[in-house]
Amino acid sequence: MSTTSTTASEPVVRMTGITIEFPGVKALDGVDLTLRPGEVHALMGENGAGKSTLIKALTGVYRIDAGTIAVAGTARRFDGPADAQEAGVSTVYQEVNLAPNLSVAENIMLGHEVRLGPFVNWPATRRAARTHLARLGLDLDPMSMLGTHSIAIQQLCAIARAMVVDAKVLILDEPTSSLDKAEVAQLFDVMRQLRADGVAILFVSHFLDQVYEITDRLTVLRNGRLVGEYLTAELPRLELVSKMVGRASEDLADIEKAARRTTTHDLTGREPVLRALGLGRDGTVEPFDLDLYEGEIVGVAGLLGSGRTEVARLLYGADRADSGTLTVRGAGVRAASPLGSLQRGVALASEDRKKEGIIGDLTVRENIALAMQAERGAWRKVPAKELDATVARYIEALAIHPANPDALIKNLSGGNQQKVLLARWLATAPQLLLLDEPTRGIDVGAKAEIQRLVAELASEGMSVVFISSELEEVLRLSHRVVVMRDRQKIGELTNGPDVTASTVLETIAASGSAS
Amino acid sequence: MTSTQTPAPATTSRRTKGGAPRPGSTGGIADVARRWGHRLADRRFLPVAGTLLTLVLILVIGQARYSTDTRSFVNMRLFSNLLVDNSYLLVLAVGMTFVILTGGIDLSVGAVVALVGLVVAKLLILGVPLPLVLLAGVLVGTVFGLLIGVLVQYFSIQPFIASLAAMFLARGLCNVVSVESLAIEDKGFTDLASWRLKFGHGPSIWYINLSMIVALVVVLVAVYLLHYTRFGRTVYGLGAGDGGQAVGLMGLRAARTKVWVYVISGTCAGIAGILFAFYTRSGFNLTGIGMELDAIASVVIGGAMLTGGSGFVLGSVAGVLVYGLIQVLIAREGLDSWWTKVFIGAVLLLFVLLQRALSTGQKRRRKKNKEESPAPPPAAAPAVS
Repeated sequence: MSTTSTTASEPVVRMTGITIEFPGVKALDGVDLTLRPGEVHALMGENGAGKSTLIKALTGVYRIDAGTIAVAGTARRFDGPADAQEAGVSTVYQEVNLAPNLSVAENIMLGHEVRLGPFVNWPATRRAARTHLARLGLDLDPMSMLGTHSIAIQQLCAIARAMVVDAKVLILDEPTSSLDKAEVAQLFDVMRQLRADGVAILFVSHFLDQVYEITDRLTVLRNGRLVGEYLTAELPRLELVSKMVGRASEDLADIEKAARRTTTHDLTGREPVLRALGLGRDGTVEPFDLDLYEGEIVGVAGLLGSGRTEVARLLYGADRADSGTLTVRGAGVRAASPLGSLQRGVALASEDRKKEGIIGDLTVRENIALAMQAERGAWRKVPAKELDATVARYIEALAIHPANPDALIKNLSGGNQQKVLLARWLATAPQLLLLDEPTRGIDVGAKAEIQRLVAELASEGMSVVFISSELEEVLRLSHRVVVMRDRQKIGELTNGPDVTASTVLETIAASGSAS
Repeated sequence: MTSTQTPAPATTSRRTKGGAPRPGSTGGIADVARRWGHRLADRRFLPVAGTLLTLVLILVIGQARYSTDTRSFVNMRLFSNLLVDNSYLLVLAVGMTFVILTGGIDLSVGAVVALVGLVVAKLLILGVPLPLVLLAGVLVGTVFGLLIGVLVQYFSIQPFIASLAAMFLARGLCNVVSVESLAIEDKGFTDLASWRLKFGHGPSIWYINLSMIVALVVVLVAVYLLHYTRFGRTVYGLGAGDGGQAVGLMGLRAARTKVWVYVISGTCAGIAGILFAFYTRSGFNLTGIGMELDAIASVVIGGAMLTGGSGFVLGSVAGVLVYGLIQVLIAREGLDSWWTKVFIGAVLLLFVLLQRALSTGQKRRRKKNKEESPAPPPAAAPAVS
């Protein structure tokens, strides 16, 4: 359809050899990106692949160290978002960056409002806003407050604002991450409308289904490098996933076979430690069922943004579920909360250890003590002797380096910080440990140690939920693997010799949901 | 009985929305009425409606208790006196409204009022021409506002701390000017202060004086700035709760606007200082202690959110009137004047709770709207044991 017309037309944006260096890191290394008018172009890659860096290069937020950017045939160097906007490149960010306490008309038109002498001509400004909304097929009251509308409508208003300056290029950075299905459909209608009007749209999303639904072409990045540009219709999902992950699917299977940990596991007639029935939360995870048994490691696999972390947060009570029931050791849990979970023996080691985990200016000892103290309540101090013994035990057991309980944790390496975090939760002697990306960003040796530790803990009877973006790791450790995609649990595999990384990838890539 | 029917539209228009067609259909009286109904029921207007209701309630109570056969409690004289006694507070509240709309606060205004009074008195004693003295008085306020604005915007200092520092500075400078009360005997100044237009006669006589006119002009300028300029909309946008990030990304001048709101508040404090000097005909280093809190209380009673982004100048005007009327009522009851504080405290508490209820109600409603599309929850089966 539209692809036939676009191949002929001159590209509106041509970025070639873009290189951006941050101190010590090459965030982008010689990346090319071409956008054609009347085309929806997906930018694909895992987190850290350089997608947002590339967008920020195009919108003038970052200076490029090498390479060229040409917009509509002329070479440009943008000094900031305003500069880029003037050249016809508008961006709608993941978080809606509008003022919810102003009216729809104000949010769309401010900066371009119609004036009448020293006054803003509100009637005319509102009419203009209505015209811009109508162009996107929206019939909203321009006088209503933006904040009273759903996130999806706010997002569309942000697009309307971006189109006020007559943008030739529209960048949508994860626009669908907080929308439900009907809202996504509405957004896509608007995107198709704009595409028909000849706008080039750069679409960033973690959702494969959406990418295949709306985009004409896609560019894949990995580790700051260009993997290639493809026509969406000609690239099968499985191939796309392996291009993003960086391994051919056969390779994945080989590694996995070598490292397989064979387990025999009999669950019949046993009471689950935790049972979730139809547990879900609007806009984060669709309702799912899950049973966890004593001594079992359950892996959660899926691409980033597939809802893995959200599952852990729901089980722990960090987010409140909208639907479903949660039972821990046979007792129903109403309104799960972190403290309640801790007291029930459920602990969560969170994904982002910098933001949600460690407290950098406290010592190793104090960081380990946090959860123990929280469990006891603020007024019953953990006895110094007991604390020292616990801390010493875990420093030794986890080989935390330096083995100094008074070292400030911010001075430790990532792997050691992760071990301290693990020690914090282990010190509460949980019966169920939720580990969200426990091995991310740490070196191979530390990784292996943490994996070994998890296996040991499970053999001692603890149940573990193990979330990782590394499939091999999940398959090596887990007895069962829960597969997530697009915030849905789409399958549950009992691990065995016939389950390989490609099985999991196929499950992820399968177009029909496996419910 | 002039202002009793003010809040009525909110309820009447809302009634008409029932049975309106789909939002898509344009035109149609029902549709227009529905849209207006939505607008008036909007969270933004409800606190102001509450303020107006309180105002009416106080007037009704006063009318019932203090009217005599010969004289009604609610008359022009009451309003005239209210404005004469509170014109300085009105001006302060207007300036404070700008600051609070951005989510900031200005604690310096009370001390600035005292400093301006002293500067005016001192300069007049030194024989400086009156126009220059008035200009200097206002500029003292402007400079303090600019100082706070720069500290807040460019040095990233919390508004509370920055204006607290300015407050101490201003109060300290008062003592530098004079530690004693300075009476103002300048002929031109006292003429300005006592100039007034007389209306009516006998017991129902009422006046318009210069302070009232100045205060009303300040209110009108503020309404223009806030509602009919890009600057004003930016002020509201700054209070959207993300540190002004959104307005910045929208390409509006967030930084400059933030400095300007403090300059406006400071300038208002300068004007209020002169009005207060008109009122007391003196400068004294201990005046205006706690006056900034009166201004903040008036703004909050007037429906503005201290978190920013929501409120109206006219609401603040109503807030000042409520404040003044409570004082009048206390005086008429023959209670000691500190009871004013007790009542103001109670009213303030009520309004803060009202705002809380409104903002949570709003969230709940939005969520409900979202859930309405899927199948409705199973009907509650009553009494099935």
